[in-house]
Amino acid sequence: MSGKASSSSQPSIGLSGSGALSHIYIQYPPLRCSIPESRGLHYDDGTKLLIPSTSNQIFSWKTVPFNPLATSTSDSIPEGPILSIRFSLDTKLIAIQRSSSEIQFWIRETSEAFSHRCRSDSENILGFFWTDCPLCDFVVVKNSGLDLFAYDSVAKSLDLVEMRKLNVCWYVYTHESRLVLLASGMQCRTFTGFQLSSAGIVRLPKFDMAMAKPEANSKPVLAAEDVYIVTVYGRIYCLQVDRVAMLLHSYRFYRDAVVQQGSLPIYSRKIAVSVVDNVLLVHQIDAKVVILYDIFADSRAPISAPLPLQSRGFPRSYSSSSRSSGKDGECSEVNNKIDHEGIIYGDNWTFIVPDLICDAIAASSSETPSVLEFLQRRKLEAIKAKQLCLGIARTVILERRPVSMVSKAIDVLVSSYSLSLKTGSYFKGIKTESTSSGVAKTSVARSSTDVSTSRIDGTSIRHESTAGVDSEYPSRASTFSASESEENASSAPLRTDSRDLQLGGGKVDRVNLTGAHSSGPTDNPVFVNISEQQDSELTSPAISPDEMYKFVFAAVEEEMVGDPSYLVSIIVEFLCSTNMEKIKVHPNLYVLAIQLLARNERYAELESFVTNKILEPSKEVALQLLESGRQNIQTRKLGLEMLRQLSLHHDYVSLLVQDGRYNEALRYARKYQVTTVRPALFLQAACSSNNSQHLAAVLRFFSDFIPDFRTTSDFTTYYGILNEMNTSVAATSF
Amino acid sequence: MGLASASTATDGMQLCIFDLRRGQNEGQELDKILFFFPADLPFSTQLSVIGLSEGLITFTRIFSPEAACEIIEAERHSHVFYEAETDIWMVMADFPVGKKLQLPSFRDCLKERGTVQMLTMGREAAIEVQSLVSVLDSCAGNSSCYSMILFHDLLVSTTLSPDDTINLFTYAVLRLSPNALSSGVNSWSYIRRGSTSSHFVSGSALTHSGPVSEQIYHSSDTSPVGNNINRVTRALQHGKWYKGKDGFLVTDIWGVDVGSLVCATPTVWLQQTEEAMYLCPYQFKSLTLILLIPVSSILNGEQGVALVKQQLLENASLKILKVEEKLSKGWGGENAYHVSGYRYLLVDGDRNISRASPPGKVTTLAKESLLALSKLRDEVDLEKSRAKRDNAGCEKDLEVSIRAKNNAWAIARITGGKELYMVLEKASETLLYASDAVEKFSNRYCNGAFSLD
Repeated sequence: MSGKASSSSQPSIGLSGSGALSHIYIQYPPLRCSIPESRGLHYDDGTKLLIPSTSNQIFSWKTVPFNPLATSTSDSIPEGPILSIRFSLDTKLIAIQRSSSEIQFWIRETSEAFSHRCRSDSENILGFFWTDCPLCDFVVVKNSGLDLFAYDSVAKSLDLVEMRKLNVCWYVYTHESRLVLLASGMQCRTFTGFQLSSAGIVRLPKFDMAMAKPEANSKPVLAAEDVYIVTVYGRIYCLQVDRVAMLLHSYRFYRDAVVQQGSLPIYSRKIAVSVVDNVLLVHQIDAKVVILYDIFADSRAPISAPLPLQSRGFPRSYSSSSRSSGKDGECSEVNNKIDHEGIIYGDNWTFIVPDLICDAIAASSSETPSVLEFLQRRKLEAIKAKQLCLGIARTVILERRPVSMVSKAIDVLVSSYSLSLKTGSYFKGIKTESTSSGVAKTSVARSSTDVSTSRIDGTSIRHESTAGVDSEYPSRASTFSASESEENASSAPLRTDSRDLQLGGGKVDRVNLTGAHSSGPTDNPVFVNISEQQDSELTSPAISPDEMYKFVFAAVEEEMVGDPSYLVSIIVEFLCSTNMEKIKVHPNLYVLAIQLLARNERYAELESFVTNKILEPSKEVALQLLESGRQNIQTRKLGLEMLRQLSLHHDYVSLLVQDGRYNEALRYARKYQVTTVRPALFLQAACSSNNSQHLAAVLRFFSDFIPDFRTTSDFTTYYGILNEMNTSVAATSF
Repeated sequence: MGLASASTATDGMQLCIFDLRRGQNEGQELDKILFFFPADLPFSTQLSVIGLSEGLITFTRIFSPEAACEIIEAERHSHVFYEAETDIWMVMADFPVGKKLQLPSFRDCLKERGTVQMLTMGREAAIEVQSLVSVLDSCAGNSSCYSMILFHDLLVSTTLSPDDTINLFTYAVLRLSPNALSSGVNSWSYIRRGSTSSHFVSGSALTHSGPVSEQIYHSSDTSPVGNNINRVTRALQHGKWYKGKDGFLVTDIWGVDVGSLVCATPTVWLQQTEEAMYLCPYQFKSLTLILLIPVSSILNGEQGVALVKQQLLENASLKILKVEEKLSKGWGGENAYHVSGYRYLLVDGDRNISRASPPGKVTTLAKESLLALSKLRDEVDLEKSRAKRDNAGCEKDLEVSIRAKNNAWAIARITGGKELYMVLEKASETLLYASDAVEKFSNRYCNGAFSLD
């Protein structure tokens, strides 16, 4: 179920319409599991195991991390019908539903079994799942409500902890969200939700889903396959297909409310929904295309044009072939990657809680800043998202797109970086001090972020992804900056006392948090994805100013032809962004700006750049000013002045001497006790002026300034020269 | 500085600028007057002053065709001549009623190009400004515009060459800045108390002087205000600019466009690039933006200019708002650059930038202090010209301190192309005390540029 995203290197324009283009690829080769006499195929989203079964054997394949060559483990179990299989979260137990009233538990270690039955005959088991909720380990959903059990490993039995009585027609549950939605009512459109997170059980307010009527008096009934729970950026949504209205309604869950968010049009009688790397994929099965939405943004517009799903690496000739002979009929539950290879959206596809990886072809979208925003939110394959971002940044500059547009794009990158500093996801490869410098600047305006992160800091969370229900409704602004915090919130349990935390000392919490980060990535509780992709080096596609300089500005500068003032404008926009986010810029960027301005002979402007400290003073900047000052004396002066103001005494004095201003240099050397410049330099300069008085003055100065100077060879040499000068002067004057 | 100090002496002092090429035909004599002070003198008097000057120039040219007269000292009058550009003369005429003027070199005053006063701003504001500048300069698509931004009467940014900057800055402060617009007189109005704006207008505003033969005006392109229309453009007229509804400043000085019946957009001639540019000033609160669009880049005249203006409003409005807000926030008011206890003038000769105590504070100086300052300047000018003669290219460091009769200190320090003049009326004790005060000032406000090492 886990494909790998790859930043498509596929050219998008030339191939469009050829059918070879796709946004979404199924990982190829697929995981093949051929089990003779297989009776059924199950998927357990709690343990992410793929489970084919025969009458007395259970095989399980790990799907995360994805490896097409993964081998299965098998358990022999008592023979009997298998309706459903779920492994306990620690995979020590296997729960097997045998009938509508019986669940059998298989203890793998000891090969023991025990059973659980419904109390009354009128009760029907609709389903069950394992949970990491502290109250219970196992939940059974029946038509009469929820039964919560704790597993007693000593007695090897289930103890009833709690019962929630209510009528249930059917239910949906995902382990990722820890949310179970129970449908009730005539139309099955009234829902009660429970979240069984590590903080306990939260009951969500009852709500109705919208359903259009085909005609008066007819009341369609909502089916379980039309409701999807999805987790995007740590927020939990429910998506509901309204077949009459041809709409996909979305609802977002908050702690104390369920709010309808709007609807997406659908173009197929049959659709399926999956989420890959926080991107919502709506498979329009009849049309055999998939449409991508980034529902983080307010816009309901798809990210890209609808394109078919394809198999990556699969020979194309097959992919377009029509159905193969349907002899795989025994696969009653078929996963989209075990299916007959080559057939996309085959009739017998079942979409199970999927982790497909999407592959966004950035170039096919025209709105660069939003593409960058999108890419910066990617967590899987961050390195590719990052390279893509760098590539886009270079391209828009090289293509000389309007400054305002490039500026927006840069804003996105810089604020994303700033955010990654604050949340610490940029910690890899960045020095500790720069991380802490980002931390110090936490603003009060981001207090909502602080709240969520501080919670995580307080409670240590060992589980991977639990989507928390967001309590910040309704003030949550859907800004980009919030994305990280929501991500964090996703690993936080539901809050019990979130009110107290509002606005409270965000700064301090943040510092603590960073402290935790520096301890290392592996035991870092904040980043849900880390545990799943330790092999990947980067956790964030954020781009530091240094990288911006190296991979964008410096790279672009080499390729750019013509008037460099465009690049200067872009650099200014970059400085604007970094200044807003209080991020330090590498002096090399300033050096580049100076070179560009000097190349255009815009010395007056260069001067105002320096005097207004748009280019912050540093030794590098000063030296470049001196270098560029070879063509322009004013610029050279600026460089000298900067050296003086930076108290780089040695360099300053040496340069004064170079300019022949050795009197000034001497005064300065005396004032600041600069002893590192060799007297010979001064003497040489004074000597070349051919003025005996000057030479005498310099000699005199060093005799006073440096003890024992009179014993040095410098003194003897130049004293001799001075005497010669004097005699020659005397000679000519007579 | 030259003009300001010259005009303080009103008795019998006249200053005129005229164009020898103009007004050669009978009945068109007035055309040659570009500027006259005092403007309320009758034209006949103005013309006779100019006539005399013309005569003197013509006469002396007989002996020295390349360089005509510089100074004529006669018993009843003295004339100081300066040919600012070919055939454009600045003449200062002095008819002493009682005493002669005591001013350092008249001619140097005329030669002086003036300086620019800059706004000091923080890094953040400076970056915002720079961002705005890039929008302005790319307003007209591919052809690059130039721009200048002022806040009140202070320069914020410029993309023009230093020479063009001074010219346009001076013009902007005198005619375009919010101050100039609201008062109708120039921002040095404190000097000219008593003269109302109406005098200036009636004195120098001349109506169209009828059809003029072309051959005379062909050459007018070389004047700083070049244009090809056969009429005399009097760009210096007062009270002729006003703010339109769209925020752009308009004037009818350059006439009315025949096609569209709107005021013709003024054009200016840039010395650096030798290019004629449309002058489009835009004002938002205390912010004045001057956009210069190459005439050659606009094909359909006023319509094209209007299009670029539209572009500017569309692309830059938000940024203008932001910059104005930032600058206003950091703005210390009229007396922002006052340093209590000091009366100072800071000149950066390399960059033609100056900063001085605010006028209101300078006028509190005692007469004796001013005399001492005048003497000090005399000394400095002398020393500077000597240094220039001795070794061109090498900058000289210099310090002069003069004790005035009222025990005030007038001090000048010159180093690395920068000049600091200062009057300390209360530092009466010792030279050491005065010198300390200068040192403090230098460290605090000039990055230590004038500190003695």
